[in-house]
Amino acid sequence: MAFITDHILTWTAFAPALGAVLVLAAGRTPGAARRIALGAALADFVLSLHLLRHFEAANGADQFVEHAPWLAGGKIAYSLGLDGVSLWLVLLTTFLGPLVILSAWRAIAERVREAMAFLLLLQTAMIGTFLARDMLLFYVFWEAMLIPMYFLIGIWGGERRVYAAVKFFLFTMVGSVFMLVAILWCYQQAGSMALADFLQLELSRGQQSWLFAAFALAFAIKVPLFPFHTWLPDAHVEAPTAGSVILAGILLKMGTYGLLRFAIPLFPEAALALGPWLAWLAVIGIIYGALVAMVQQDVKKLVAYSSVSHLGFVVLGLFSLTTTGAAGGVVQMLAHGLSTGALFLLVGVIYERRHTRQIAEFGGLAHAMPAYAAVFLFVTLASIGLPGLCGFTGEFLILFGTFGSGLLPHARLLVALAATGVVLGAIYMLWMYQRVFLGKLGERNRGLPDLSVREWAVLLPILVMIVALGVHPAPLLERLEPSLERILAPVAAIRQTESSYGLALGVSAAQPAAATAALKGDR
Amino acid sequence: MNGPSHAMTLGTDLPQLAPYLVLAVGGLAVMLLDAFTGGRRKDHLSLLTLLTLLGAAAAQGAVPADPRGATLMGGMLAADRFSRFFNLLTVTIAMLTTVFATSVYEREGRHRADFYPLVLFASLGMMLLAAATDLLSLFLAIETMSLAVYVLVAGNRGSLRSSEAGFKYLILGAFASAFLLMGLALLYGQAGATDYAAVRRAVDAAPAGGVLLPLACGLVLVALGFKVAMVPFHMWTPDVYDGAPAYVTGFMATGVKAAAFAALLRVAWLLPPVAEVWFPLLTVLAVLTMTYGNLVALSQSGLKRMLAYSSIAHAGYLLLGVLAVLNTGRDSATAVQAAAVRDAAGGAILFYLVVYALMNLGAFGVVACLSRSRDQEADAIDGYAGLSRRRPFVAATLAVFMFSLAGIPPTAGFVGKFYIFDAVVKAGLVPLAVWGVINSLLSAYYYLRVIVVMYMKTAEGEVHDGHSWEAAFTCGVLALLVLLLGVVPGSFYALAAHTFRQMTY
Repeated sequence: MAFITDHILTWTAFAPALGAVLVLAAGRTPGAARRIALGAALADFVLSLHLLRHFEAANGADQFVEHAPWLAGGKIAYSLGLDGVSLWLVLLTTFLGPLVILSAWRAIAERVREAMAFLLLLQTAMIGTFLARDMLLFYVFWEAMLIPMYFLIGIWGGERRVYAAVKFFLFTMVGSVFMLVAILWCYQQAGSMALADFLQLELSRGQQSWLFAAFALAFAIKVPLFPFHTWLPDAHVEAPTAGSVILAGILLKMGTYGLLRFAIPLFPEAALALGPWLAWLAVIGIIYGALVAMVQQDVKKLVAYSSVSHLGFVVLGLFSLTTTGAAGGVVQMLAHGLSTGALFLLVGVIYERRHTRQIAEFGGLAHAMPAYAAVFLFVTLASIGLPGLCGFTGEFLILFGTFGSGLLPHARLLVALAATGVVLGAIYMLWMYQRVFLGKLGERNRGLPDLSVREWAVLLPILVMIVALGVHPAPLLERLEPSLERILAPVAAIRQTESSYGLALGVSAAQPAAATAALKGDR
Repeated sequence: MNGPSHAMTLGTDLPQLAPYLVLAVGGLAVMLLDAFTGGRRKDHLSLLTLLTLLGAAAAQGAVPADPRGATLMGGMLAADRFSRFFNLLTVTIAMLTTVFATSVYEREGRHRADFYPLVLFASLGMMLLAAATDLLSLFLAIETMSLAVYVLVAGNRGSLRSSEAGFKYLILGAFASAFLLMGLALLYGQAGATDYAAVRRAVDAAPAGGVLLPLACGLVLVALGFKVAMVPFHMWTPDVYDGAPAYVTGFMATGVKAAAFAALLRVAWLLPPVAEVWFPLLTVLAVLTMTYGNLVALSQSGLKRMLAYSSIAHAGYLLLGVLAVLNTGRDSATAVQAAAVRDAAGGAILFYLVVYALMNLGAFGVVACLSRSRDQEADAIDGYAGLSRRRPFVAATLAVFMFSLAGIPPTAGFVGKFYIFDAVVKAGLVPLAVWGVINSLLSAYYYLRVIVVMYMKTAEGEVHDGHSWEAAFTCGVLALLVLLLGVVPGSFYALAAHTFRQMTY
């Protein structure tokens, strides 16, 4: 086993790709392809559990580090590492992986072998993106992610799938190519592609602003931050259920992850100067996404717009530039991955039965499918942030961290506005629930079968995690905070210099820290 | 030069000249063989052509490259790593072209016997062009190559478009040759000698502010710009690429372009003193070349024509690399740094040329593979609908080539662009790099369209259904190479950079 545990990150990243090769080679029947894919995804999940078990909670630095020279005499390297932030996102990916494959068991009936291979390749690219500690390696994974997703939307998607797939591809690429130039420029300055060397760069404020803008554009499109969100509803609505779950559950987190991992610590001065703008865009997105979600006729589109709103919270938390706010952001990423992933799965369940997602087509479903209705209610409540479920933890920490942030002008106003987003979220989700599940059961919905065993098997693990994250987030936060402090250190350093010049920004970090302490159960 | 020393040079030069001689003799042999054998099947011609090319490669492999500065035939040709690199590349391109051409002929059941000697002579011209270190050999090489290619373009005798393409290429090519000759004459007038070293000395010694030198260099640039399809000397490209049989188009787009860029890089060494004059203009032309190629490619409905315009755009990316080579040493950077950046840029160009050859030949190979005959080529993009179901393997290779041409990782096309843009940024030309990436964004759209049609549309109406095992297999190998160079390009890039560093001028 040593040859696995010595290169555990490589195995975790590439096990799905290996599975994809197996699927292509041996998946002659659809059944075989599905089983091999599921096996590979489960194996990957087991590998990632090894990461969780051996992760040192108090250590904020990268762990399980792997490093091998790749190009330019080692100045560009195959360099992987795992800190608290990456750990949870990788776990989210490997956790959703098998569930996604299981959810596609019946929904994808054509060209199963290719679909399974693309799902697995996508997983490799996503895990690689979270683990890469070399900028070129990161970029390669980041771009490579586009290819399988493009095929998943374009081949197995709905009616306007080609339009949605191309739009998804080009929108994402618009951002990334400018990031590539920024990376090249930094590479020339730093003399190496290592993230650690990029962090050492001493850049003027003007340089930082340009570079930050290039990075932030790439990530803002991926998040997506208002007004770059227009690709999202198209991609979500046209993608097959499995694609939507990955898109909402993991792909969107690439954007917020990138902001946190690269844009903020690499260019801290620019993050301080330009962060407020992004925070405002985030708040606009929160309210805009909620309002647009409210008027949707299509359940899937409603959930898609709710993502714009939820991801706005994440960005707001990150640009509070406090550990608490950022921790809230990461928790919200995970919570959104679970709850929105589950919502898309649930929408997929009803779509498979009725081949429509129009809210008007339903009503009184709770009579026909009581278990389905109960699960849907549960996930809805998680999504709108009911205390005790996952959505609450993240939103609470974000709002709390932002409220106390001395780095964000008008922080309290932003929090107040964001909080109205929470209320709006409750309104559109519950209103949708009412129209779909309560009232009189229509003729066409009579006799719809309730959740099958396979569907339960997909949903139950997510439900468990939703509760776990809501009730007991301590193990999560413990492993997160040391890493976040490390990531935000460059920002803190600037704040310290500024305060020593008498530009003290008032609020200390003590207050928000108390909140996370309370949530962790420290007394 | 007097007799004895000339003979002596020839004697010692002979091993180094072997690759060129093998091709020349092989070309004549194929011609004679065709004259003395009858019948419609000409498999043996194809076989002899491949053997000749292999022989040339073996001859090249057998002799070690001389250290920098070694020349053949009294300074006419360089025998350095650079020419070795291009000789091997040319031979490879010619072999792949021969395989694709033969596969089409087999399907038709009638061989074009003239194709084989012509492809050998054209390759000879390309190799000489990449090795030329004398104004005379430069001209002779470019003419040897061009004359053979003119005929190859018109190779589809039954087709009006093919004849038109050949004629157009011939007429415009003659203009370009005239420009070249005028430029060479002016250079000779300045230097009083024809070898590059002497010209360089004369250029260095010439007083600043002269008009003749920049003019001469400009005329040479026009001629080479014509061969690489640089805007505004690209007008012939779409019609010629479209009219020529697909395998010839692939040969031209990769072989001619590589040889012309090799010559351009050698000539670039004559330029530095006049670079000040040429740099801004070349910058504008590079930007126009990229942008024009991509914008027009967006609206093409034929795959060959789309690839023709895209090849203009790729010439633009390569010109960015040339600009990076030229720009170093212009500003305050130290000599050592400047040399490092120059080598990086030169290596990037060589690497890109190879990668471009692999992916573009692959794409044209797929066209050849799916064509029913030369008259019914797999050109219309709509005809690729549903290919991923009918021919999953061929569709997958074409998808790899398209992603690579668009520069998406993990393909070699991405790495090639990465090296070029990296060199451009290192040379301090950040705005050009930005424009370059915007262009690759544009290009992604039309490359993706091919994939959309293959994977996401169902077949309606006429579809391409030619088939050839050899061609499909060859495309598979090329796709594999494209992926391999996309993941582990390191040592090959190092070789390219080393090759450029050792270039004789």
